[in-house]
Amino acid sequence: MSTFLLTQVINFGAPLVGLILFLGALGLPIGASVVLIAAGAFSQQGILNWQSTALIGFVGAILGDTLSFGMGYYAKDWAQNRFGKSAAWRNARESFMKSAGPAVFFTRWLVTAIAIPTNLIAGGSGYKFSRFMLYDISGEIVWILLYGGLGYLFGSQWELVSDFLSNFGGLILGLVIFGYGIRRALKWQRQVKTNKIGAG
Amino acid sequence: MPSRTSPQQRSLVFGLIFIGILFTAFFGMRAFHAFRKFNGHRPPPPNKFETDVELIRDWMTVPFISRMYQVSPEIIFEALSISPQKDHNKSLKELNDEYYPNKNGYVLELVKQTVSANLPPPTPGSAPTESLPPTAPAP
Repeated sequence: MSTFLLTQVINFGAPLVGLILFLGALGLPIGASVVLIAAGAFSQQGILNWQSTALIGFVGAILGDTLSFGMGYYAKDWAQNRFGKSAAWRNARESFMKSAGPAVFFTRWLVTAIAIPTNLIAGGSGYKFSRFMLYDISGEIVWILLYGGLGYLFGSQWELVSDFLSNFGGLILGLVIFGYGIRRALKWQRQVKTNKIGAG
Repeated sequence: MPSRTSPQQRSLVFGLIFIGILFTAFFGMRAFHAFRKFNGHRPPPPNKFETDVELIRDWMTVPFISRMYQVSPEIIFEALSISPQKDHNKSLKELNDEYYPNKNGYVLELVKQTVSANLPPPTPGSAPTESLPPTAPAP
């Protein structure tokens, strides 16, 4: 899929980069990060204009994020009716609200694999849209400048950058899951202790 | 926490920790190997054309390769015995599938040879870029 898209980016330029980043932000697994790094390299090689590519790509990504936030927002009532009585759902909502801003910001560029669930949860949990936009725009700027910039810097060697960044993102995701697991374990142990003291 | 949820809680916690360790180990190794490939490779100097033909991939088009290596597209199309008017937007893979369906990878190899044989002479200060092992884009 990625290689087919790379050929089309060469042929159709910045508008296609914008469309790919839009579709990627909606959750389609089309390798948006790979295309972004390649677009940076193509700009360095004179195939694309970096200013217009960065701008159109940014607009595409923001539109996609807005739409996926909207999907979460309009599914809010359904989720509330379906899971509202569940303590796990309420806990998840509360813990998301506590760190929603950093979650939105870092999932734009560092842990991109969980960007879509984050958008849906943000929309579905009633998180303020203006706040979401603030963190979303900041994160997308970092994503485009960092990934596109590295592609630009390394030019024809951009595949090295892509290979490293995709694996590094997976590593960070693993650490986040591990850290969350440990946090839950500690919380669970505390609750067990409290329950024992209460029962005793 | 009610005691009846404890087994579920325990499974969830162990599951998260296990998946976290698995992801960290798998992607950590891959990231480490990817990082090692950087060793000895620096960004190519700006405004210098490419000279390493091993960077040619089958998703590239002839005009793109032509621009990257400063080799005329007519020379490449002529070597492939293909019309430049009709097929300038097609990737090397598409050209191979269309014109040489029984010769897997033929177009890619022929383009590499043609480009290598027709590279412009180096100008003072234009050091050739370092050769890299072929890599595929991440999925």
